[in-house]
This record gives sequence, C-alpha cells and structure tokens, in this order.
Amino acid sequence: MAEMDWKHTIRDLKGVVLDMCGVLYDSGEGDGVAIDGSIEAVKRLKASDLQLRFCTNETQATREKFVAKLGRLGFDICVDEVFSPAPAAVTILKERGLRPHLLVHDDVVPEFDAVEKTDPNCVIIGDAADNFSYQNLNKAFQVLIGLEKPVLFSLGRGRYYKEMDGLKLDVGVYMKALEYACDVEAEVVGKPSPVFFQSVLADMGIQPSQALMIGDDLVNDVGGAQSCGMRGLLVKTGKYRGDHTGIKRKLSEGKHDTRHWTAAPEVSGRSPGCIHVIGRPAE
Amino acid sequence: MAARQRLKAVLIDLSGTLHIEDSAVPGAQEALSRLRRAPVAVRFVTNTTKECKRTLLERLCRLDFDIQEREIFTSLSAARGLVERRALRPLLLLEHSALEDFSGIETSDPNAVVIGLAPEHFNYETLNKAFRLVLEGAPLIAIHKARYYKKKDGLALGPGPFVTGLEYATDTQATVVGKPEKTFFLEALRDLDCQPEEAIMIGDDARDDVGGAQNSGMLGILVKTGKYRAGDEAKISPQPHLTCENFPQAVDHILQHLV
Repeated sequence: MAEMDWKHTIRDLKGVVLDMCGVLYDSGEGDGVAIDGSIEAVKRLKASDLQLRFCTNETQATREKFVAKLGRLGFDICVDEVFSPAPAAVTILKERGLRPHLLVHDDVVPEFDAVEKTDPNCVIIGDAADNFSYQNLNKAFQVLIGLEKPVLFSLGRGRYYKEMDGLKLDVGVYMKALEYACDVEAEVVGKPSPVFFQSVLADMGIQPSQALMIGDDLVNDVGGAQSCGMRGLLVKTGKYRGDHTGIKRKLSEGKHDTRHWTAAPEVSGRSPGCIHVIGRPAE
Repeated sequence: MAARQRLKAVLIDLSGTLHIEDSAVPGAQEALSRLRRAPVAVRFVTNTTKECKRTLLERLCRLDFDIQEREIFTSLSAARGLVERRALRPLLLLEHSALEDFSGIETSDPNAVVIGLAPEHFNYETLNKAFRLVLEGAPLIAIHKARYYKKKDGLALGPGPFVTGLEYATDTQATVVGKPEKTFFLEALRDLDCQPEEAIMIGDDARDDVGGAQNSGMLGILVKTGKYRAGDEAKISPQPHLTCENFPQAVDHILQHLV
C-alpha cells in the first residue's frame, strides 16, 4: 500500500536531493520565476534534521552563476550543495586523459577553463540552446567521425524542458542525433547516470535507501534515482505533462497542504500515487 | 520458380544508373529508347530532398534522355502524395529549391511536419517549432533518413540525425517516405494501375534500390555503375534477381526475358 511505503520512506529518510529547474523555479526571461511555496519549503527542509543537496543537469551556466541566480530569486543555497554535470565531466576528462571539443552553452565554458582543448579526442555536448546550429552540430560531427575511436559525452540526456515561453529541446535530442550520425553510443554525465547519483550520496554519507530524490522529470530524476535504490518523488510542476504511461494516480483527499509541492510518488512503479507533503508537516 | 505476372512497369534510378554526375552512362539513351518500344510503363525514381522535378528533368534533357516530367517520381513526390491523401497542412523543413514540388499545398496553421535535408532550417528555433507540433500530435514525415553525405570539403550531416532527434524528443516514429521504404515503391506505382509483382526496379544501390524494391514485391536489377562496390549483391537478402554491368544490359535482359 502506498501509504505504508510512504510512512517507511519518511521514517528511514536521512537526506533529500532536489532537482532544481521545474521543482524550485521555472526558467525563462531574466532569472525566471520561483515556483509558489518552494523558497519556504527549502528553508523548512534546511531547518529539519534531513541532509539536503541539489542535483541539476543545468549546463547553461557555471555553478557559481547558477547559485547566484537562485539567490536573487530568494533561495538560500550554496555552491557546495549543488551537483551538476560539467564539473563531473571535467573529473572524467582528467582521469582518462581526454581533450574535448565542446558544443555547450557559452556561459558554462568557464567550467572547462583548466582543460586542454587543442587537438580534441572527444566531443562533449551540453544544453547549448541557440548554439545548436547546423554548423556547430556539423563541426562536432566532423570531429567525432574523424576519430579512430569516437568518444561522445552528453551532459544529461533530457528530451525537453520547460521555459516560460514554451517547451524546448534538451541535450538528449542532439545526443541521439550524433549517436545516429556516427553510429556510436554516448556516455551520459549527470542525471540519470548512477555514477552521478552515487557521488551525491557519498557526499551526504548516506545509503540510497535513506535518500529521496524529488524532480519533475520522470525518467531522469525519479527513474534515475530509483535505479540506484533511492526513493523518488515526481512533482507536477515544471515539465510534467501528466501523460506518462505506467503511473497510476490516486488523489487522496485532505492530506496535503496546497502551499507546498503536490506530488504523485512513484514508488517502484507498483503503487498508485497520492498527494503528500514534503518534509515534516506544518502543525 | 513461381510464374510471375506479365511485366507492366520499369522503375529506373537516376544518379549512378542513367548518369554519373554530368555524364550519361554510355549507351543509356539508346537503351531507354529500346525499352520504350516495349509495352511497359517507365518511371524515373530518386531520393532527393533538394531538387524539384523540373531541375532533375533539365539535367536529364541536357544529357539527351527522352523523359517527361510526369514520369519522374522522387521522395518529395512520395511525401506530397502522403500529405495530399491525408489532407495535411505541413510545416515544410525543406530547401527552397524543393518547395516547388509542394506548390498548391496548404501550409498555414500546420498540423504536420515534413523534414528533408535543410541546413537553413536545422537551427534551434525552427526545430523547437517542429518539436512542439509533433508533441501535440502532428505526424512527422521524413523524406529520408540518410546519416550524412559527401561534400567537396568533407562529410556533412544528413536529415537522419535530426529526424532521430525529434523522434526521441516526442517519443514518436517518423513516417519515412524515401527509398528503401515500401511506401516509396508503392507510391511510385500508384498511378500506373500496376501491382509490385508486375514491376521491376533498376538501380546501383543494393540496399536502397534493389533491396527496397524486392521487399515491396518487385524484382530488382543491380547495375555495377555509380556507387556499386564489388560484393554489394551479397549484402541483401534475397539477392538481386539480376546483377549486370550497366543500364543497357539491364534493358537487354528485360526485353529478352521478361516482356
């Protein structure tokens, strides 16, 4: 029964991992807009005895810039609490002696400043938005197809995300395009890669079963976390579209506080969802 | 061998079969004339996303081929046929030179996406537009899914990667209308009142021309000109009905054995 599972989850919970875009705020013009109640909810989580980390596939800015933006929106978050793909990729490049050709957003390039980029022997794609021109994509393709051993890293593999002016194609679409063109398989850095989630858990010093991931992306947030043994909570904000197959939804009355995130927990795909409060309920 | 119906139609590939770039295959014009004296319909078929029928015709006429525009059938024609049959209003992601083949088709308030090789449209903004339409239910029609093609200065991305990307974004499958899809060959025969079993395809591409044609019920003749490489005939199953040197030899075979 979903109710019993959820009570166990809460009882064993030692840490919460929050997705950011679509959970805390919606992106768009300027800094975007905080989602109703999210600022307060983060404060309440921080005041509780739960550990808290933020896990984003954001690759349109450095962590510093990104955290500063969230500060302007009213969130109390610091860089050390944030896990994003670009720094994780830099670690991999160093470990494997790789020099990347970058197809990423201009504002995330500084994360790769310390990395050698001449004579590239791999390609990294991120959420490049307008940098996803045919010319740029073609250049990345030509680098890849020219390598004896083509290596392609994709910072995340999302299909699309929500901005204030509508849904937009995410990095996963272009990952698939280059995979098809070169007949290679990309290595995903960031959600839903298990390595990425495990690095967050290690930082918190807790077991997967003691952690809850909250996100708006069924596959990359909830699915990815649950594959590592974490609990997952799907929120109906952000890119959520309500048409995911396999989710049964049951609304249970009177159990939620509408100032907080309403959610349909996906508990191992077996149980119907219900609406719950995040963190400890306000009394 | 099972008895086949009488041959009613011959489909002929263009580039690599009738001509190599701006030179005709030697003897091809005369072979075509001989074929035309037989009681068979002739159609000239090609995958293209850039060249409208008029452009193709002009090239063939310059090479002294006796061909009419209405005998040319391309992957663009196949797409147009599909759009017309389903009364769709497409967003056309096509090169300007290909738009002529869609004249008369309503394109305002689009409820479908037709995608060919169109680098000028493969920017973030336009692809987002196409993506949102398909996500809302618009069918995605791909002229073909070539991965890349050869240009003078190296390889360049074809439409295939972008179609694949949109399929992933929307969790749908595109309808591909070019060779080697069955749709292409059936559409080419549509106005000839002819079953696939009554038709034969001549081409230089084992998989796209001969394999595709034979999969749709036609016979296929593989010619060793154009992009043919030794051993190509063994790469498809079943193997070609016939593998021969060139288009004139293919015509000889048809006139001697199939008509």
